[in-house]
Amino acid sequence: MASMEKRLQKELQALTKDPPKGVRVSPDGTCRTLSEWIVDLDGAPGTLYEGEHFQLQFKFSSRYPFDSPQVTFIGTNIPLHPHVYSNGHICLSILTEDWSPALSVQSVCLSIISMLSSCTEKKRPPDNSFYVKTCSKNPKKTRWWYHDDSV
Amino acid sequence: MGNCLKTPTTDDISLLRGNDSQESDPNLGPPPPYQERVPVYHPSPNVSRPANQLTEEEQIKIAKRLGLISHLPTGVYDGSVKKGKECVICMCDFVLGDSLRFLPCMHTYHKKCIDDWLMRAFICPSCMEPVDAALLTTYESS
Ligand SMILES: [Zn+2]
Ligand SMILES: [Zn+2]
Repeated sequence: MASMEKRLQKELQALTKDPPKGVRVSPDGTCRTLSEWIVDLDGAPGTLYEGEHFQLQFKFSSRYPFDSPQVTFIGTNIPLHPHVYSNGHICLSILTEDWSPALSVQSVCLSIISMLSSCTEKKRPPDNSFYVKTCSKNPKKTRWWYHDDSV
Repeated sequence: MGNCLKTPTTDDISLLRGNDSQESDPNLGPPPPYQERVPVYHPSPNVSRPANQLTEEEQIKIAKRLGLISHLPTGVYDGSVKKGKECVICMCDFVLGDSLRFLPCMHTYHKKCIDDWLMRAFICPSCMEPVDAALLTTYESS
């Protein structure tokens, strides 16, 4: 537990002090507990999401960084993307089976930005309505099938 | 393109992503002890868990894994920069006297940090290189 808090504290400091472009730890995320963060993301210039703003919620278990964080889009603007469900769940392999403790909040944010940036057509995943009706609240309980990582 | 098909699951299969694929069938036997909510089995030398909560199969798997891990070289940080200076798992700089473990890919971590991870997945967190494959090649070539 203590090692998880220490690492999150370091990540929070680094991300607040020197965030990559388009990523900000949200001030209204009220990090009262270190185990839940809100991060603001900007759609990258020159992509389909230019000018849009998104919010990501991170939830960390006491086993972080050995367990991946639970990451979902929240708020009113959920990006319209073939790997993002309308309930905010994200189909991205590093969030489940390809997670590694060498990854961080920052690298997850950058992966998500790059996933958005490489999108060529704004649309929901084909099984969106079924998924949203039947899925668990926790996206990590979904056993995703990653068909095409290049999208 | 974009087919995020899914099937529901309750187990964290990454924990079982090892060499023995038939052991990763969640339908076999009682649930493994590393499911969500159940305290994670964490067999570092100073943590014990009642053995009666583990199936025989799990005990064997854990013993095998511990055996493999014990073959990986260890050392003490002596300030040499070649060994890197930060453990990416805890994001702390190595301090003189820290116990380190060296993976075959030459990535270095705190012993306690990496051993914890290797019990869950036998791959290097930095380069995602499978550790056991590298171990076997080392044995064969020596
Ligand atoms: Zn460490
Ligand atoms: Zn490595």
